[in-house]
Amino acid sequence: MAWLVVRLAISVSLLYAASAVFEDQVGKFDWRQQFIGKVRFALFDTHSQASKKLLVATDKNVFASLNSRTGDLFWRHVDKTGPEGHIDALLMYGQDAVVVVGNGRLLRSWETTVGGLKWETVLDTGSFQAAALVGVQDLVKYVAVLKKSAISLHDLSSGSQIWGENLPDSDSVQYQTIYSGENGLVFVLGIVPNSHIVIVEYKIEDGEIMNKKSVEAAWMSSLESSCAVVSSGILLCVDQITQSLYTLPLQSAEQTEMRQIHLQMLDLEVASGFRPVLTSTQPNPAQPPLSEFFLQLSPDHHILLQFKDGLIALLRDFSPVRTNACSINLFSADTGRKHLDTTIIYHMDPNGGKPNRLYVHAFLKKDDSVGYRVMVQTEDLTLTFLQQPGRVVWMREEALADVVTMEMVDLPFTGTQAELEGEFGKKADGLLPMVLKRLSSQFILLQAWLAHLWKLFYDARKPRSSVKHEVTIDILSRDEFNLQKMMLMVTASGKLFGIDSKSGTILWKQYLENIQPNSVFKLIVQRTTAHFPHPPQCTLLIKNKDTGLGSLYVFNPIFGKKSQISVPTLPRPVLQTLLLPVIDQDYAKVLLLIDDQYKVTAFPSTKNVLQQLQDTASSIFFYLVDSSQGKLSGFRLRKDLSTELIWEVVIPTEVQKIVAVKGKRANEHVHSQGRVMGDRSVLYKYLNPNLLAVITESTDTHQERSFVGIFLIDGVTGRIVHEAVQRKARGPVHFVHSENWVVYVYWNSKFRRNEFSVLELFEGAELYNSTVFSSLDRPHAPQVLQQSYIFPAPINTLEATLTEKGITSRHLLVGLPSGNILSLPKMFLDPRRPELVSEQSREENLIPYAPEMPIREEWFINYNQTVSRVRGIYTAPSGLESTCLVVAYGLDIYQTRVFPSKQFDVLKDDYDYILISSVLFGLFFATMISKRLAEVKLLNRAWR
Amino acid sequence: MCRLCVAALLLLAAASCSLDVKLHDDEDEDEDAMFQTPGGDVRVRVSGRALVPGVRAQDWIASARVLLDGDKHVGFLRDDGSFTVSDVPSGSYVLEISSPTYRFQPVRVDITTTGKMRARVVNYIKTSEVIRLPYPLQMRCIGLHSYFIPRETWGWSDFLMNPMVLMMVLPLLIILLLPKVFNPSDPEMRREMEQSMNMLNSNQELPDVSELMTKFFSSPKSHGKAGGGARGHRGGAPSARGGASRRKMKD
Repeated sequence: MAWLVVRLAISVSLLYAASAVFEDQVGKFDWRQQFIGKVRFALFDTHSQASKKLLVATDKNVFASLNSRTGDLFWRHVDKTGPEGHIDALLMYGQDAVVVVGNGRLLRSWETTVGGLKWETVLDTGSFQAAALVGVQDLVKYVAVLKKSAISLHDLSSGSQIWGENLPDSDSVQYQTIYSGENGLVFVLGIVPNSHIVIVEYKIEDGEIMNKKSVEAAWMSSLESSCAVVSSGILLCVDQITQSLYTLPLQSAEQTEMRQIHLQMLDLEVASGFRPVLTSTQPNPAQPPLSEFFLQLSPDHHILLQFKDGLIALLRDFSPVRTNACSINLFSADTGRKHLDTTIIYHMDPNGGKPNRLYVHAFLKKDDSVGYRVMVQTEDLTLTFLQQPGRVVWMREEALADVVTMEMVDLPFTGTQAELEGEFGKKADGLLPMVLKRLSSQFILLQAWLAHLWKLFYDARKPRSSVKHEVTIDILSRDEFNLQKMMLMVTASGKLFGIDSKSGTILWKQYLENIQPNSVFKLIVQRTTAHFPHPPQCTLLIKNKDTGLGSLYVFNPIFGKKSQISVPTLPRPVLQTLLLPVIDQDYAKVLLLIDDQYKVTAFPSTKNVLQQLQDTASSIFFYLVDSSQGKLSGFRLRKDLSTELIWEVVIPTEVQKIVAVKGKRANEHVHSQGRVMGDRSVLYKYLNPNLLAVITESTDTHQERSFVGIFLIDGVTGRIVHEAVQRKARGPVHFVHSENWVVYVYWNSKFRRNEFSVLELFEGAELYNSTVFSSLDRPHAPQVLQQSYIFPAPINTLEATLTEKGITSRHLLVGLPSGNILSLPKMFLDPRRPELVSEQSREENLIPYAPEMPIREEWFINYNQTVSRVRGIYTAPSGLESTCLVVAYGLDIYQTRVFPSKQFDVLKDDYDYILISSVLFGLFFATMISKRLAEVKLLNRAWR
Repeated sequence: MCRLCVAALLLLAAASCSLDVKLHDDEDEDEDAMFQTPGGDVRVRVSGRALVPGVRAQDWIASARVLLDGDKHVGFLRDDGSFTVSDVPSGSYVLEISSPTYRFQPVRVDITTTGKMRARVVNYIKTSEVIRLPYPLQMRCIGLHSYFIPRETWGWSDFLMNPMVLMMVLPLLIILLLPKVFNPSDPEMRREMEQSMNMLNSNQELPDVSELMTKFFSSPKSHGKAGGGARGHRGGAPSARGGASRRKMKD
């Protein structure tokens, strides 16, 4: 009987241990936001008036179609990351969009309504220079791609190559642009810097070179930056030194000299030191290039010029205007006159960046007046879509496509909540005042509840559409179970976001200017919201990757405001940060910053803090990793805030290199000290809070000789607690280090599969010192158990769930390249899983060992809401022990809650109130009736 | 007879001929899909076709991608469901079609250094096992993803078919109904019942279980130092049935 029960328990736990989603929970507590990244090309579908399509190609190798009325995605195609998926050019003709990908490696044509691929061709290698649509007699039929040393022409409908030719003298001439007129010729323009321009004419039909000429231009160093093609085949160049424009008709065979036009003749002058820029419309055979063009004379001075019959005329001078709000006006290109009623005032966000790009879609309205829509991209990657008259139609925060790090902060209490909480913290001041206090607080609660009821009633009477659920910071407060939190997100572009975790609404945003593109960020919560009236405080350490110099940005995580606290300047590169549990008189945790001379800076550094640091200095240790020299070193703090070296571990860099080092999370709780075994003895866990997991990879990448190593090192003493090697394995290694276990994933290069390995550390049957763990006093080495499993899918990222008290069983969250997030019970990654099932292992609920890890679709916590390119998963405990908050970020952001042991501490949301109450009432009435019947019966019997 | 033989031979020859032709065709295709980079390593194009029966391609291709070994190489689907993944160097890859709605079986694609390709069933445990699949790939949808688990619903049938309920209800029925079916006070019936009991207990020599147990436990010598197991040995060689029953008792 007993074994049956055990087996039943196992099967039950197998069935229900995993957190799965019920269909009616969709969208109840989870949300997803999809992003595209920084827009590099954007094209409006001008094919028809009613079209809502807006095609965009971004620096994240994403090609997408947006709904220009709402800003939502119609479809999105995410190519591979890195330069191989980089989008070089986007051309559009009719319903088709042609994209050049991967430095001219691939040419793809997309059908833009559905988002399906039409064709794809592989081009020859060679760095991409330019692409253009080529037409014959107003009909676009081909697309030409110019490479460094070759040109090829492809058919637009099938993608097949019509012809491909090598360019003449390609080793000395830099071919840079391509132009096609209406006359069946393709012009390729190249340059020999500071010598001459080369113009080659190709025949469209067979690629025959019709004409080749070179034009003297000793002053020119680059075609792309100083030249443009205007009107019908006129090459126009600008020279900074002589302050003049040069023109050259491309088609005439006899003219081999550029005509010079001095800018002084037009009463124009280039600002000193500024390189003038020419801007013209993109040449497109379907729509001949305009004869009007822009000349930029200084960073904010543009003029509109017209080229007509060999003469250049000034149409309009746009001199710089300095205001806080930008205005957008529509001007006629023919005359330079401003169209009436076309001004849009664009208000710049004070916390945002400056606008740097406009994408305009102008159209004729029904009454023949001109209307237009415009998409503005700012430095902080905000896309704003504006429509006349000055209405913001939608906004997208594309900075969120590249989240670097994030934290979750509890929301603050409201005044009443704080009052209630304060009651428990205070010292008792007599019985009667406490009773009165209690009563008054209960009265406040009752009042709040009544107000809530009234609001519900009031809202219910109004029609649903008029009830708006707008979320603002002011109305946000902590909910009953602390399930709603503030998500702080730091993006690579230097923009910070505060997002409500329940709805995904952006509550505040702050753009930090002057952030280097290769900065590293570290976000530290120094003071939580628990210390009312002190405001919560977060610190962002921004570090330049090249110089190592860092700076601190201190802010309030709830309102996003910069704190007025004075910040220490960091003159030396920062190597390591350490958040101590020591708090100053304002309840802020102390942050230690260690620079490259091993000097320590404390923040905040008040007298109180320094005093505390002096007292505790001998027990503050930290470690440094130098992966270039393969060195791990441990330091101890001295009283004068200098440091002393205690230990050093060198992992020779000739053999292997350190890839990653991870300690345990500071806010993690371990509920049980050990595991109860089948024979009722206890196997105690080795819970060393100072343990570091160091992952190394071999420098030899040969399939047979490569390996992945793991070292478990005590961060205080430098003792190597354990060492393991996986042969014939290579990275990328993803790993989680928690409690007494480390789980890591590597690629088995022999069998070409991903494998999980789990290491668990135990002290044994007896605990050496059960009250406190000290690294300095642990004579016995821990017992280490290890097991490996096959994981039948590739992996992007790995994280473990985290709960308030650590009672709930743990799950591993695995981000898959398909965009799903798998919640894998830790139970499957237990090195004690037996190969042969015994009575004891059954008693312990151990699952028999199986080499392959199961992947079940019910374990995908984000069902069909896939997260593209998931890069990180953040887990945070909530106020409920059963619930863990999860945020997955990558190109998209997905927030949800998981219940690794099901919702054992709250009523399930499908709890059958009706059944329970009907049974209760039924029983109640049954007892009443039977009581009555019994009475009658007794009475009858008495009468007998 | 002879003529028949000749005919068969001819047929065979024709078959082999057509086979040869087919092989050549295959190779031609491989050549066509192959590229040589300047570095000398081979780059091939993996192509195939994905099918979702009964669903228009437009409805699912925009959200689907073809992934080789995670997102090392990415391909997209055309509106007829066909796909190509370009620029793939030699090696062994697992090709899967990732769609948030439809499920496909992954396929392993091996590409040799000369650019030859084959497709086979993915087996992570026996990685060298080869069960060939047709190439160009034919990916067939094997159903919808089942992300959700159904809610436990409460129904009368579930309640009644519960083993606990059955265990309680059936004896209750027997207790209530049996006396009504036959009258135990009827002498004829009683005799019949006794007979059937004797039939069941046919071997009179075999010691009764309960008797045996009482004998063991009431034995005055065996209490004290000896454990239960030792006691069993001392009690002579109890029959298998006795042993089994003792185990049951312990439980």
